[in-house]
Amino acid sequence: MRSEGKAKRGFGSPQERVRLRLLRLLSSAPFAFLLSGCQGIQSALDPASRDARLVAELSWWMFTSAVFIYIVTIGLLAVGAGLFRGRKRLSFRSSTTLVILGGVCAPIIAIIAIGVSGVAIGDETEGAREAGTALTIEVVGKQWWWELRYLDEAGEVIAVTANELHLPVGERARLELLSDNVIHSFWAPNLQGKTDAIPGRRNVLFAEPAVEGVWRGQCAEFCGKQHTLMGFMVVAEPRDEFNAWLERQASDALAPPAPGLDVFLDLGCGGCHTIRGTPADGQKGPDLTHLASRRTIAAATLPNSRGNLGGWITDTHEVKPGALMPSFIPEPQDLHDLLDYLEALH
Amino acid sequence: MTAVGIETSGHDPALEPSSYGHEAAVGREAFERIERTWRSPAGFVGWFTQVNHSAIGLRFIVTAFVFFILSGLLGLAMRLQLAMPLNEMLSPEAYNQIMTVHGTAMMFLFAIPAMEGVAIYVAPLMVGARDMAFPRLNAFGYYVYLIGGSAFFLSLALGMAPDAGWFNYVPLANKTFSEGYGVDIWTTMITFIELSALTAAVELIVTIMKLRAPGMSLDRMPIFVWAVLVMSFMILFAMPSVMVASAFLMMDRLVDTQFFIVENGGSPLLWQHLFWFFGHPEVYIILVPALGIVTSIVVTFSGRPLFGYTALVLAITGIGMVSFGLWVHHMYTTGLPFMGRSFFMAASSMIAIPSGVQVYCWIATLWGGKVRFATPMLWVLAFFGVFIAGGLTGVMVASVPFDRQVHDSYFVVAHFHYVLMGGAVFPLMGAIYYWFPKATGRMLSERLGIGSCLTVFVGFNITFFPMHILGLQGMPRRVYTYVDGLGWGNMNLLATFGAFLLALGFALTLFNVVRSLRHGAVAPDNPWGGSTLEWATASPPLNCNFIQQPVVESRRPMWDWREAGSRTVVAGLSEDRRETMVTTLLDARPQSVMVLPGPTPWPFVSAVAASFGFIGLIFSPWFFPIGFFAVFATMVFWFWPRHPWRKK
Amino acid sequence: MKARVLVDASDIDRFAPHTHPLWWGILGAVAIEAAVVATLLTSYFYLAAQNPAWPPEGVAPPDLFWPTVVLVLLPLSSFTMWWAGKGSDRGDQRQLSIGVTASVTLAVLALVARSFQIAEFDASWNDHAYGSILWVITGFHYTHVVSAVSGTAVVAVLAWRGYFTPERQLGVVVDTVYWYFVAGVFLPIYLVLYIAPRLL
Repeated sequence: MRSEGKAKRGFGSPQERVRLRLLRLLSSAPFAFLLSGCQGIQSALDPASRDARLVAELSWWMFTSAVFIYIVTIGLLAVGAGLFRGRKRLSFRSSTTLVILGGVCAPIIAIIAIGVSGVAIGDETEGAREAGTALTIEVVGKQWWWELRYLDEAGEVIAVTANELHLPVGERARLELLSDNVIHSFWAPNLQGKTDAIPGRRNVLFAEPAVEGVWRGQCAEFCGKQHTLMGFMVVAEPRDEFNAWLERQASDALAPPAPGLDVFLDLGCGGCHTIRGTPADGQKGPDLTHLASRRTIAAATLPNSRGNLGGWITDTHEVKPGALMPSFIPEPQDLHDLLDYLEALH
Repeated sequence: MTAVGIETSGHDPALEPSSYGHEAAVGREAFERIERTWRSPAGFVGWFTQVNHSAIGLRFIVTAFVFFILSGLLGLAMRLQLAMPLNEMLSPEAYNQIMTVHGTAMMFLFAIPAMEGVAIYVAPLMVGARDMAFPRLNAFGYYVYLIGGSAFFLSLALGMAPDAGWFNYVPLANKTFSEGYGVDIWTTMITFIELSALTAAVELIVTIMKLRAPGMSLDRMPIFVWAVLVMSFMILFAMPSVMVASAFLMMDRLVDTQFFIVENGGSPLLWQHLFWFFGHPEVYIILVPALGIVTSIVVTFSGRPLFGYTALVLAITGIGMVSFGLWVHHMYTTGLPFMGRSFFMAASSMIAIPSGVQVYCWIATLWGGKVRFATPMLWVLAFFGVFIAGGLTGVMVASVPFDRQVHDSYFVVAHFHYVLMGGAVFPLMGAIYYWFPKATGRMLSERLGIGSCLTVFVGFNITFFPMHILGLQGMPRRVYTYVDGLGWGNMNLLATFGAFLLALGFALTLFNVVRSLRHGAVAPDNPWGGSTLEWATASPPLNCNFIQQPVVESRRPMWDWREAGSRTVVAGLSEDRRETMVTTLLDARPQSVMVLPGPTPWPFVSAVAASFGFIGLIFSPWFFPIGFFAVFATMVFWFWPRHPWRKK
Repeated sequence: MKARVLVDASDIDRFAPHTHPLWWGILGAVAIEAAVVATLLTSYFYLAAQNPAWPPEGVAPPDLFWPTVVLVLLPLSSFTMWWAGKGSDRGDQRQLSIGVTASVTLAVLALVARSFQIAEFDASWNDHAYGSILWVITGFHYTHVVSAVSGTAVVAVLAWRGYFTPERQLGVVVDTVYWYFVAGVFLPIYLVLYIAPRLL
C-alpha cells in the first residue's frame, strides 16, 4: 500500500518532482557517519523513521553552514579588529561591499535555504503521505502519563493501554493528540518532531518507524510536578506481531481471578484503575488489564519488575514525588498476592 | 581619510584633559548655585525624595544586578540538581518554583530593568539634557519595581512562589491545576512591574524626542539613543499584551471569569498568542539597547566614526518592527496550520538581515581604526563570539521541521542563553566597564576585568554549549531530573561545572566593582576618549549634568570640541530653577524651556499605595477599587500646586 | 576649554503648554491605553472565532439603547472640554470653569447610563468567555471614565479657584487630551460589543 502511493507520487506534478529531488539531495546522507555515532533510544540524532532522518540531515546541513558562517564572520572580525599584522585600512567602497555581502546577501541566501528546506521537509513530515492511513491511535495526555486508545476503521476504541505505544513497522500511523487537563507535548525524537496535546483541540501527528526497535519518548510541554518523569515507550514490530499484540490488548484480563485481585479491590485500586473483566473500572489511572505485557511502569520511569512494582505501590512518592497515586502498604502476604496477580496480567 | 571624509583615528585618551573645567566655565559662585538647585537631598529620608535621573538610573542598575545575582544563584541550584541523573537535592516542587522564579526574574526583574537603568542613566547625558522629562514619574517607576520585585522574590523565601513556569501556560496556571497563591503572585507582581517598564518607556521617549540638546537632530543622535528609543516604543506596544493576558488570568483565578476555561468557551491558545505577542518582542527589547551599547563601545575603542550610521538605524528600527511579527514561532508545535507557520518561518528568519547588517557595520568600523583592547572592548568581542552563535541557532529554530524536534528541549535552552546572555549580559558587562568611571569617578581594575571576561566567556561556553547536544539527544526543558541510561549524564555534569566557572567570572567583576569604588584610580572626565556627550560632564556627573547645556553640531561633539579647542553651549538658563532646553522633534531647534520639579516624597507614597492595591489583589478583588482610589488620592497630593501660586 | 555660546535661552518661553513634554507624555499614556484596547478587542474576536456561536446559545446581544446614549454623551462632553480649552487659551477663566464642570457632569451622566446598561447584560462574567470579555472591556472603559472624571473634577476645583493663569494652562491641555481619548475610544468599543454581535 505504501510503496504504491510512493510510486504514484514519483510521477506526479512537476512541483512534486522538484520537491522530491530536493529531498533526495538533502538525504544524500553525507553525514551518515555522524548519525551512526549518536546511538540513543531517545535522540533526534539517531533517527528510526524517514521523518526523523530528514530532520536529522537537515540539522547537520544547517550546523555545517552555521559553523562555516561563524568562522567566516569571526575571522573577518579578527582581521578587522587588527588581531593579525599587516591589516590594511578598508576603503569606503570595500566597507560597503563587505556590509552588503555579509549583512544582506549571505542572510538572504540563508533565509531562502531555510525557507525552501523547511517547507519541503515540513510538508513531507507532517503530511499523511497517503490517504487512508491504516491505523489511528488516540494519545491522551494525563497528569502524568499517557493513555493510548487504538481505534478501528469506524473510529471505535478497540483497545486501551498506557505508556507503551506499539506500531507496525513501515506503516504510517495517525496519532490524534488529546488532553482533558493541561497541555502536554508528545515527543518521540527518534521517530518524529513533537506536537502538543491541548484541551479542546485534536492535533495530529504521524509516526512511521522504518525499522524494528524500542525507543523512549517523553512529555515536552511543562505540565506540572511530574512533567519530568512523564515518559513512554515506543515499540515498532512487524505487522503480524503487532496484530497479535493488539488482539491481546483488546481482550479482557487473561489472568484468572486470584487472591491478589481481592487485595487489589480491597485497597480501592479499582477506584482509579481498570482491569477489564473484573469489577475494577476506575478511569483516573492507567488501564492495567495487560500490565505485565509492558516493559516499564510509572510512565517509562522504571523497568517492569516485581521489585519495582512493589516499590512503586508501597512508596510511590519516593519514585515520583507529586504523583497523583497514593502509596499503599498492605500486609506482606497481601502484597505478595497482589504482585502475583499483577504479574499475571499478561 | 577618503572621499566621504571619514577622519583619521588615533584619539589618544591620554591627551584628554582630566577635567573640562566645569567650575571655571561659569565661575565658582554660579557653579555652586546651580549645583545647589539640582542637588538631591541626602540622608535616609532624603533618599525617598530623590528624583534626579542619575540617582534613579543607578538604583535601577544596582537593584537589577542584585536580582541578577539572586536569580543566578537559583540557576546554580538547578545546575547542581541536574548534575547527575535522579539526583534528589531538590524536590520537584522546589525545582519548579526555582525554575519559574529564575526565568521570570531574569526577564522581568533583571534584563529589562537593567537596560532601562542604563538608558535612564546614560541617555539623558548622551542627548545633553539636564534631567529626564518626568523626574517624579521616574522615581515612581523605580519604587514600583523595587517593591514588586522584592515581593516576587520574597514569595520564594516563603515557599509560595509561582511554579507554572515563566510562561504560565494555561490550563496549568488555572485555579484547578495550580492551587495556592503562586500564580496569583506571578500575575499581580508582573503586571505591577510592567507598570514601571511602561513609565520608563514613556519617560525615555519624551526625553529623547523633546529634551535633546540644541542641534542634535535625529540624524545626529548616538546609536545608543536610537536603540533606547526603539526599545521604549517596543515596550509601549508589547507590554500591554502581557498585562492584558495576566489580567485575564488573574480574573480567571480571582473572580471566575472564563477566558481560559475550554468548557465555557475559553481558549488556552489565547494565552499563548497574547503571551508571545509580548514575549517575542521582549527578547528584542532586551537585545536592542545592548546593540546600542556595543555600538558605543565599538566607536570609542576603534577611535573612528561609525561606518553605516543610517544602515544601523534602519537595522535597529527594522528589528523592532519585525519582532512583532514572529510570535507564532513559539507555537510551531500547537497544531496551527502549516501554511500559517510557513509565513512565520519566513518572518523569523528575516531577522537575520538587520542583524547581519549590524554585525558587518561593526566589523567595517573596526577595520578602519586602531583598536584598543580595553575591558569594555573585550566584553564586546565576547559578545560577538557568543551572540553570533546564538543568532545562527536562532535562524535554525525558525525552520518548522527542525523546531518541532528541538522545541522545548535543551537545544532551545542553549539557544536563548546564547542570545540573551551573549546579546544582553555581555554588552551590559561591557557597559559597566565602560561607564563605571563616569558614574563613580573611579576606574575599574583592567586586570581583574580581563580575568572576569575570560572566565565568564569560557564558563559560559562550557555551561551552555553541551545543552545544544543534550537537546538533540532528546532532553526536554523544565525537567527536575532525568532517568539514567539515556546518555545525558556527562554533558549535564560538564554544564554544571561550567556554571560554577561562570559564576566565578561574575564574582570577579563584583569584587572588582566593590574594590574599585574605594581603591580604583581616579577617573578623568573622558577616560576612553569617547565621542558622545556623557563624557562632557564630570566623573561622576554634576548634579545638573551640564553646567552649561551643550549645543551639538555633528554626531561626535566631543571630538569636534577637541579639534576646535572650544565647546559650544547654551546660555541663559536659570541658576535657581531646574531648567532644561526643549527642542523640536526632528532637527532639535530650541523651542522652549522646561522647568523640572524637584525632590519630593510623593512618588514613593504613591508607589506604596499602588503596591498595597496590587499585593492585595493576590487575595481579594476588592483591592482593585481600594488601590485605585488610594493611588488617585496620592496623585492629587503629588500634583497639587504647593508653591504660593497666586503670587508671581 | 573655552565655551562658545550658540543659544541664549533667557528669552525662550517657559510656559508653552502645547509643546510641553508633558503633552507628549500624555500621548504616550494614550498610546499604551490604545494598545490595551486593541488587545482586548482582538481577544474578543479571537474568542468569537473559537466558539461555534457568539454570543453563546441562549444569550442575547446587549441592548442598544443605553450604549447609544453614552455614545452621544461622551462626544458632547468632549465638545464642552474643547470649549473650555479654547477659553483657557484666551485667558477666560470663567469659560474654562464652566466648560470643565459641564464635561464632568455629562460624563457622570454617561456613567449612570453605562451602569444601567451593565445591569441589563444578559451574560454574567463567570458563565462563559463571552460574558467575561464583555464585562472586562466594559469595566476597563468604565474605570477610565471614572479616572478621567476624578482627574477633571480636580481640574474643575482648581479652575474655580482661579489657578489656571495664562502661564499655567498645562494641566488643562493635558487633561483635555486624555479626555478626548477616553471619549473617543468608546466608538470602537461600541462597534465591537454592540454592533458586531448583530452582524457576525
